Amino acid sequence: MTPTPPNLPPEDPVRNHSFDGIQEYDKRLPNWWLMTLYVSIIFWVGYWAYYEWLHVGPSNSQRVEAALSQIEATKLANAPAVDDPNLWKMSRNPVFVEAGKATFVSNCVPCHLASMRGKSELATAIGPDLTDTKWIHGGKPTEIYDTITKGVLVKGMPTWGPVLGAKKITEVSAYILSKHNEGEPIELDPTALATAPPPVK
Amino acid sequence: MSDRKITLEFNDQIVRQFLLASIIWGAVGMLVGVLIAAQLNFWQLNFGTPWLTWSRLRPLHTNAVIFALVGNMMFAGVYYSTQRLVKARLASDFLSQLHFWGWQLIIVAAACTLPFGLTRGKEYAELIWPINIAVALIWVVFGVNFFWTLAKRREPSLYVAIWFYISTIITIALLYIVNHLSIPTSWTHSYGLFGGVQDGLVQWWYGHNAVAFFLTTPILGIMYYFVPKAAERPVYSYRLSVVHFWSLVFLYIWAGPHHLLNTALPGWLQTLGMTFSLMLWAPSWGGMLNGLLTLRGAWHKLRTDPVLKFFAAGVTFYGMATFEGPLLSIKSVNALAHYTDWIIGHVHAGALGWNGFMAAGMIYWLVPRLWNKPLHSIGLANLHFWIGTVGILLYVAAMWTSGITQGLMLNATTEHGTVLAYPNFLDTLNTIRPLMLMRVIGGVLYLTGWLMMGYNVWQTLRGAARVNGTVEVFEADAAHAPAADLSLLGSFFNPPVLFSVIGCVCAFAWMFGGEFLGTVGLVGALLCAVLAFAHFESRGKKWGDWYDRLLMNSLPFTLLTFLAVVAGGLIQIIPTIVAHNAASTEDRKQIPYTPLELAGRDLYVRDGCYLCHSQMIRTLVPDVLRYGDYSRLGESIYDHPYQWGSKRNGPDLARVGGKYPNVWHLRHMEDPRSISVGSNMPPFAWLLKNPLDTSTLAKKISVQRMLGVPYPNWTPEQIDQRVTDQAKAIAADLKTAGAYVAPDKEIIALIAYLQQLGHAPIVPVAPAVATK
Repeated sequence: MTPTPPNLPPEDPVRNHSFDGIQEYDKRLPNWWLMTLYVSIIFWVGYWAYYEWLHVGPSNSQRVEAALSQIEATKLANAPAVDDPNLWKMSRNPVFVEAGKATFVSNCVPCHLASMRGKSELATAIGPDLTDTKWIHGGKPTEIYDTITKGVLVKGMPTWGPVLGAKKITEVSAYILSKHNEGEPIELDPTALATAPPPVK
Repeated sequence: MSDRKITLEFNDQIVRQFLLASIIWGAVGMLVGVLIAAQLNFWQLNFGTPWLTWSRLRPLHTNAVIFALVGNMMFAGVYYSTQRLVKARLASDFLSQLHFWGWQLIIVAAACTLPFGLTRGKEYAELIWPINIAVALIWVVFGVNFFWTLAKRREPSLYVAIWFYISTIITIALLYIVNHLSIPTSWTHSYGLFGGVQDGLVQWWYGHNAVAFFLTTPILGIMYYFVPKAAERPVYSYRLSVVHFWSLVFLYIWAGPHHLLNTALPGWLQTLGMTFSLMLWAPSWGGMLNGLLTLRGAWHKLRTDPVLKFFAAGVTFYGMATFEGPLLSIKSVNALAHYTDWIIGHVHAGALGWNGFMAAGMIYWLVPRLWNKPLHSIGLANLHFWIGTVGILLYVAAMWTSGITQGLMLNATTEHGTVLAYPNFLDTLNTIRPLMLMRVIGGVLYLTGWLMMGYNVWQTLRGAARVNGTVEVFEADAAHAPAADLSLLGSFFNPPVLFSVIGCVCAFAWMFGGEFLGTVGLVGALLCAVLAFAHFESRGKKWGDWYDRLLMNSLPFTLLTFLAVVAGGLIQIIPTIVAHNAASTEDRKQIPYTPLELAGRDLYVRDGCYLCHSQMIRTLVPDVLRYGDYSRLGESIYDHPYQWGSKRNGPDLARVGGKYPNVWHLRHMEDPRSISVGSNMPPFAWLLKNPLDTSTLAKKISVQRMLGVPYPNWTPEQIDQRVTDQAKAIAADLKTAGAYVAPDKEIIALIAYLQQLGHAPIVPVAPAVATK
């Protein structure tokens, strides 16, 4: 900031005033330090102009909306073929079943228990038994898949679609179906639907 | 001049008191720190006891370290150095003692309220309103004592340390008062004046600048006195002092919004927070340079002198932390690091490295002088240094690794970026557990070092005589010659101030002025910078002469400092406050809480849930994938205090409402691990036993109405009826799920609150309404 004398004296002068014996040199500011300050100021001018003055750069919400649309598009393009015959086939394939078990253990066990038997095993469990032939929201493979994906908020089943994704939900469905056999009876539980709890508010 | 010499005795008694208080409270604060760090690994250490639970103790830890350790240390350093730098005894012994005992009482009051859930629910501003008033009053006592001493000074010019003290006193007063404005609902509870985004902005304007003006500027002042004293070397550069002081106090205040990057905070504020943080890098390093380079020619003394070791390491940690700060303020880095342990590592590099080590250096230097006896053991002090350094390095390294690991895991996606790789939050938590344990070890080492210092000091002052410093002064100096007086006109109408003010006004015009005014402002600001540079090159001596005169006039100096500090706050906060709430709702509009939900929310604040759970889904893909649609400003406009949070030891709760059944929450609060295997959340079983206190609910709702929350004018009976009805419905639902809880228990209110989170209805965007 200040012009420097071309030749510094051998011992730098101190200011002609001392405070409680403390003296002060008056050395020039290091160039790299000044550069750091100037560059950060120039960066501020450019960044502010780009985002806030000329509005060339996207806002936070524009950016995230664009990224989410991209994800939606990718999902649609890669949607696996989910139908009853395929899911039954997967439920007999150990690769799918093992992968589904891993996902089940880390996400579903708190309510449905590791045995998958839920309320049948423990009265205080939150989730219903998934190994019996009683189904609350439909027992066809695609219905199970849909229940996991969309959830049943009023009954406490979270919406897993956005969290787990189609692939993992397919695998979990396969794992659940591996405890069942194609063609076994499906008993819909009408009482469970009738006793839906009152809304929260 | 009448040259009768008199001997002036300094008030060093007050320094001794503050110094010992700092050591004792420091040990307490760190002990609580070690406990809560251990609780994160071993939930059993919460002992199922409300007042020993993590979320009740965390505010105690932060408040103790900031206000008790650093506060007392700062007062000791400020009082010791100021008397000597201005050659005057502290103005009033009474005010000094009032300051000391008032401050200690405040600390005791904090320790007696925070663990019992008496809190305002805002970080580092948790203390309840009667204590807030006491803090403000005692701070004014400190200010009066300090400025009165300046007025009586025999040294006409102000040394750089004094500049930093002045900026500390006026800025903390301003920040503290504004952020603590509230309306009481009882003797122990109040609602803050600001809500939602306004509250968030004011909170971090305060929170960030508490770091700046409580933990940084006073300690820089202390550095400017004690480092050259201990090194017996001149300060490296006076002009660097000038430039870095003014740039630091001007820029610091703007950087608060960097705590709210990628949130719902309006974009322009986020841009200010990020860019001003980057501009702060150089001014901060100016302080580090002046500290470290003052040691030139004294480096050999570091081998033997523990004081210089502590100072050199402390200033180095300051440099590290102030490099890391701007780095973390870059939006993309922040997207990874925010809400993780990296931030915890960052603040502890500052608190343990900079504050703790500067305190230790100062204490080891002062004790032999205040008690006129050599330090009991230099070797033990050196051991303190090494054990402390290893402690900090373990701590910081663990937190860096932990933060980056968890951040990467939380943000990781799979299947072409469409799904989270680790959808279960607990997977990421359990990965970093070994690192959290390493943090505990680092903390224990650091505390051990501190206790060694306590022992060393105690051994030194046992049987030692207390001595007060003296200085010989001329009697006639007392009223220093008014020759250098600067008129009010002279303090403002001079090249440095005018160029700065006009340059800033032009820059503001550019920033907020639209296309035409903006262009004019930009050209004006550039022109101003060029002219100022040219003027300085040709008439630089005039600038220097004016500044020398300014330094002899403490009032104009203080006014200019206040002006520099207040600019950033005004520009950020006033538009946010003035703009009617409706204008900043985006497309969501919060519904006021039902009385039961409001009661539940107060329990959420009481038990410190916000310290581990954010309520802010950022505009980032991983956040949206994990927690749902990103948060809008309108969803929290009626939140007093706002609960966006600053750390995620657990998942975000902004949209947890309706995600799980009521019984899930009941079981989870009673025993978190019965639902979430591997969780480290403390159990909150008392919520199931305590009856809900609704006695102040009517008063609370009437205060909320005063604050602008659109509640109808309910009678207390109507409020009670609503509470009972909603509570019974929830209890009935729990009963069908097999859980029996009486409807008058606290847990029912908390469930009511949690179940409506994230349920603000979508309203059409109507920009025309905004201008009404």
